[in-house]
Amino acid sequence: MANSPHRVVDSYRYLSPASRAIIRTMIALAPRDPLPWTPLRGPLSKATVALVSTAGLSMLADPPFDAERERQDPWWGDPSYRVIPRTATEADIVASHLHIETAYIQQDLDVALPLRRLAEAKVAGLIGALAPSHYSFMGYLLDPAEFLEHSVPAMIERMQAESVDAAVFVPV
Amino acid sequence: MIPDLSAAAGAPRVAAIEFPFGRPLGQPHDAATQRAVLHATLDALQGASSPGTVVHLPFEWPEPPDQVHWHPKEPSPIVQLLARDPTAFQRLARLADGDIPPEASRRSLRKRAHP
Repeated sequence: MANSPHRVVDSYRYLSPASRAIIRTMIALAPRDPLPWTPLRGPLSKATVALVSTAGLSMLADPPFDAERERQDPWWGDPSYRVIPRTATEADIVASHLHIETAYIQQDLDVALPLRRLAEAKVAGLIGALAPSHYSFMGYLLDPAEFLEHSVPAMIERMQAESVDAAVFVPV
Repeated sequence: MIPDLSAAAGAPRVAAIEFPFGRPLGQPHDAATQRAVLHATLDALQGASSPGTVVHLPFEWPEPPDQVHWHPKEPSPIVQLLARDPTAFQRLARLADGDIPPEASRRSLRKRAHP
């Protein structure tokens, strides 16, 4: 794969005019809070890391994200979240995101939730540990209020209970 | 992906990558690229020293954008709505401008759809 060392990533390269309008609205509706800043408590090689995916992933044993309600109300996105254990693979999950082709994730979970690659990073000594729990939510949320009020605190609480030092958020 | 959105959503450290939607780490079963992207992301996490840091990763997707297949087979509900009702673009713009709160706009839309 040829790389460009001086690349500036274009946020809108793959977006149609309709998708651009949606993304512009999501950006405008994001809360304007001061940026949070928590310095790493130590080297990453000793840190416990959790992944958070916006792909709408759920375990087969759990209820999937509510795509049907979004079909009824296109302005609505499911504000809940799911826990994905660190041992999960593509055989264990379903991706309910209506805005992307999810077939790639169903072929190989690491394209969006790189649990195997993160496990390798632990073996290589780049991180200290994988958290027992990782997370997913539905990235299409025009109105994030309910997600921010309920889902985010619940994920934070679980991360703190599992002594997570760093959360790597993986948008799709 | 969309670093402008990640930054707006309050991510204190952003590793930006110009890969198509649905495959932020790379192609299925391309472990080498997935590994390189994850390692570059962890480097960005470790190296960032102030909030608002955006690191632009150098990875290049091997297909030109017009050959990339990332859209779902059935367009998303909001994209279908925008295609059949151009006034939905205005509603998106009014939401973005704060003229109508998201909750109120949903209620009014649903009321209209189910009188």
